[in-house]
Amino acid sequence: MPEQPSHGMQCHEFDILLADAFDGILSGSQLDRFQAHARACPACGPLFADAEAGRNWLKSLTEVEPPAGLVENILASTTGIATSHLRHLAPSTRPLTSWLERLQASIAGLVDPIWGTVRQPRFAMSFGMAFFSLSAVLSIAGVKPADVRQVSLRPAAIRHAYYNTQARVIRYYENIRFVYEVESRVREFKRATTPAEPAPEKQKERKNDTSGEPEQKQERNYSQSDNHLILAGAPLAPSDDLPVVSVTTYRRFV
Amino acid sequence: MEDVQVVAMLVRRCIAGDAAAWEEIVQNYNRRIYNICYRFAGSADDAQDLTQEVFIKIYRTLSSYDTHKGAFATWITTITRNLLVDHFRKTKQDRMTDSLDAAPSDHEDAHPLSDRIEDKSAPPDSRVRSRQVGETVHAALAKLSPELREAVILRDLQDMDYRDIATALRVPEGTVKSRINRGRAELARLLQRTYRQVM
Repeated sequence: MPEQPSHGMQCHEFDILLADAFDGILSGSQLDRFQAHARACPACGPLFADAEAGRNWLKSLTEVEPPAGLVENILASTTGIATSHLRHLAPSTRPLTSWLERLQASIAGLVDPIWGTVRQPRFAMSFGMAFFSLSAVLSIAGVKPADVRQVSLRPAAIRHAYYNTQARVIRYYENIRFVYEVESRVREFKRATTPAEPAPEKQKERKNDTSGEPEQKQERNYSQSDNHLILAGAPLAPSDDLPVVSVTTYRRFV
Repeated sequence: MEDVQVVAMLVRRCIAGDAAAWEEIVQNYNRRIYNICYRFAGSADDAQDLTQEVFIKIYRTLSSYDTHKGAFATWITTITRNLLVDHFRKTKQDRMTDSLDAAPSDHEDAHPLSDRIEDKSAPPDSRVRSRQVGETVHAALAKLSPELREAVILRDLQDMDYRDIATALRVPEGTVKSRINRGRAELARLLQRTYRQVM
């Protein structure tokens, strides 16, 4: 649109005032200048006429009726709940008269949002998962629903149940293959990194000591597996006449 | 106009999971959104799909609505407009291959615009005539550029004020006014040209 000043008004200003002119909010000198520009300007005059005609054409458009079932489709695609089910949930528009109704309405106002949340599928899913997790933990801990009725609430019984459960959990934990393997690795590692202790001076004194390391002899027996000599019925005193039998034993390690 | 407090309460109930409140929102606004979609997309089928998409978007983003930032109607109009722009971009290629005389929707008789204007044998009943004029204008509206079309629809068909339109379209108020003027003028020229061809 060419910027043509006419009657003190630019075409740009006319364009902005055009909408206001149609809305009937121009008055006084502003309206006079606007009308004078519309008459004189070769670009803005036709624009005014066309815009007015277009506005009148648009008035002939009436609101169209949404298709039947649109609301139901929207509700089904959002909440997944049928409309008919919701109708009775909608709050009544009837004025509440008695104090009992008002009390019920105020309680409903507090409870309804919570109940609405509870009825959501995602909440039901979360609740289901929580229930599953809890029941899994209880079954690992050895708690059975049938035992709950027979639970004694005496302090001694509670303490006993506590230690019993603790022992069961520890036993369960230590019997897990992975834990066992990790522990054995750690033991091996410790053994490998700890410097070897000097041999005890008095072997005899350790004969009845079962708390420490196994005796060297015993260890040697387990490690010697293949060829070794067994003297059958050999007397304590060595003799050159007796036969020597060579025996091979095969030990299978599992 | 919507009562701000009533709508705010409705939105709060809805966020809390009250399905009845959500149904009330759908009942209150489906007509408005459907009409915007229908006038913009030009087709009843597209309008129905778009209206559903708009409500799904509203349902998912309802918690982001801030009552202090503007009216709920403006907020849903902005969502509608954004989806319409997306839809317009997606279907641009399809439209380029379509005939300009293609039937725009199910609401109209499945005849091209020129055929409908040419039909002088229509009964002189004023309701029928007014319906025919409406269909002609609707077909011409679909030929406006999307920027002009959306501005004209929101102002002349949805009766929104300039400030709300500016918020929904994310352009200054002066631009909104200018687009409305040009949209109206362009529509009138299109209709005049069509009638001249027919005569």
